[in-house]
Amino acid sequence: MTRYYSSTEVVALIDDLTEPRLTAYLRASIVQPVATPDGPGFRETDVARLQLLCDLDENYALPEESLKMVMGLIDQLNAMRGDMRALLRAVASEPDEVRCRIHSSIRVLRG
Amino acid sequence: MAGDPYAALGVKKTATEAELKAAYRKIAKVDHPDLNPDPAAAERFKAAAAAYDLLKDPEQRRRFDAGEIDEQGQERPQRRYYRDHAEAADNPYARSYGFENDADMGDVFSDLFGRRGAGGRAGTGGGGFEGFEGFGQGGQQRDFHMRGQDHRFTLEVDFLTAVRGGKTRITLPDGSDLEVTIPKGAQDGQTIRLKEKGGAGLGKGGSGDAYLTLTVAPDPLFRREGDDIFLTLPITLAEAVLGGKVATPTIDGPVNLTIPKGATTGQKLRLRGRGIKGGDQQVELKIVMPPKVDPELETFMESWRKSHDYDPRVGMNSGSRS
Repeated sequence: MTRYYSSTEVVALIDDLTEPRLTAYLRASIVQPVATPDGPGFRETDVARLQLLCDLDENYALPEESLKMVMGLIDQLNAMRGDMRALLRAVASEPDEVRCRIHSSIRVLRG
Repeated sequence: MAGDPYAALGVKKTATEAELKAAYRKIAKVDHPDLNPDPAAAERFKAAAAAYDLLKDPEQRRRFDAGEIDEQGQERPQRRYYRDHAEAADNPYARSYGFENDADMGDVFSDLFGRRGAGGRAGTGGGGFEGFEGFGQGGQQRDFHMRGQDHRFTLEVDFLTAVRGGKTRITLPDGSDLEVTIPKGAQDGQTIRLKEKGGAGLGKGGSGDAYLTLTVAPDPLFRREGDDIFLTLPITLAEAVLGGKVATPTIDGPVNLTIPKGATTGQKLRLRGRGIKGGDQQVELKIVMPPKVDPELETFMESWRKSHDYDPRVGMNSGSRS
C-alpha cells in the first residue's frame, strides 16, 4: 500500500519547506513525484529527499544548480552503497574457497 | 572532435560569445564525466569542450568560419579527469563511504578492504603513512586470515510466536543445536542475525554470522496488519439481540468483550492495546445461527414477524431494476 502526500501535505510536514522552494525543486526536477489525478503525489522517498534538500539549502545556502549537482553525487554514492551491500552480502555467503580467491584478487587489485 | 563545433554546443553560427559560454556551461553541468557516469555524456562533454575551446577565441573562430582552419584546428591540451585518479586504491582523497562500522556488513567489508577499514584512519592519510601501515601489514599477510562464511537459513515460526516473541531451537548444518530468540512482533521476511554462528574463520579471522529469514505461518484465528490484530468473532443470535460479555481470544489470552445490544454481522469493535506493542485488536462480529432451527424459534419468529417486520435491503434496488 503506497501512500502519496500532496504538495500541501509535504509543505506542512517539513518545517523548512515552503511553497516557492518546492516549486523550484520541482521545476529543476530535483524531486520527481508521481503524477496522480490530484496533482503530484510524493512518496516517502520524496519526503525524505525533500527534507535532505531543505537541510542542504539551509546549511550551505547552495544555489539551485549546485544543489542539483550535489544531490546527483549523493544519489550515485547511495546507489553504489546499495550495490556494494548486496555484493558484500553475496560474497560473505560464499564458501571459504571462493572467498579466498576473491580476497586475494582484491589484495592484488587494491593493494 | 569531429563535426560541427556549433552543433556540438547546440548554438547557431551567429551565436554571441556569451551564448557560446552559456551553452558550454549548460552541457558541462549535466554531462561532466566526473559527475555523470554515462559514457554518452562524456562524449557530449568532450565534443562541447573541444568546440568551446575552438570558438571562444574570436580570432580562431573567425579563421574557422572563414575555412582557414578545420574543427581540429589546434591540438587540444590534454584534459585530466579526476575520476581517472579518484577510483585508484591509493587516491589520497579516498574517503570511507560508511561500511567500516556498519552493524551488518562491517566485518565482511574490513575482511575484503581492511587496508582502509582500520580504525578511523580512512581518508586523507598521506603517502608516508600508507607506506608505514603497509610495512606492518606485510608481515601479517604471510599467514592468511579470513573471516568465516556467513550462513543463511529460513526459519518458519508460528503466528503467535512471531507476535509475542519467544524462543525456538534450530539445528545448524554442522549438527549443532542453537536457541534462537524471536523478537516480539517479528514480521514475515524479517532477518535475525546470529553473530559468529556461521562458518569458522581462517587464521585469526573471526567466525561468519548466521542469518535467519523468518517465515511467519498464518493463524486460523488471527490476522495482522502492522501492529493491529484482526479477529472475526462468531456470536449467537441471542448475544446479538441482547448483548453481553463474551470471552474473546487475543494474542495474550482471552479477554471479556462487551457486545452491545442489537449487534450485527460486520460490526467492528476495538480492544485497545491488545495488539502488538501497543497496537489494537479489531474484532469483527459475525452472527451465527443455531445448528438447528427448532419449532420454538420458528413459532416465535412467525408471530414476531407479523408485527415487527423490517427491510434490511432498503436502498438496494438490485433485482427490481426493471
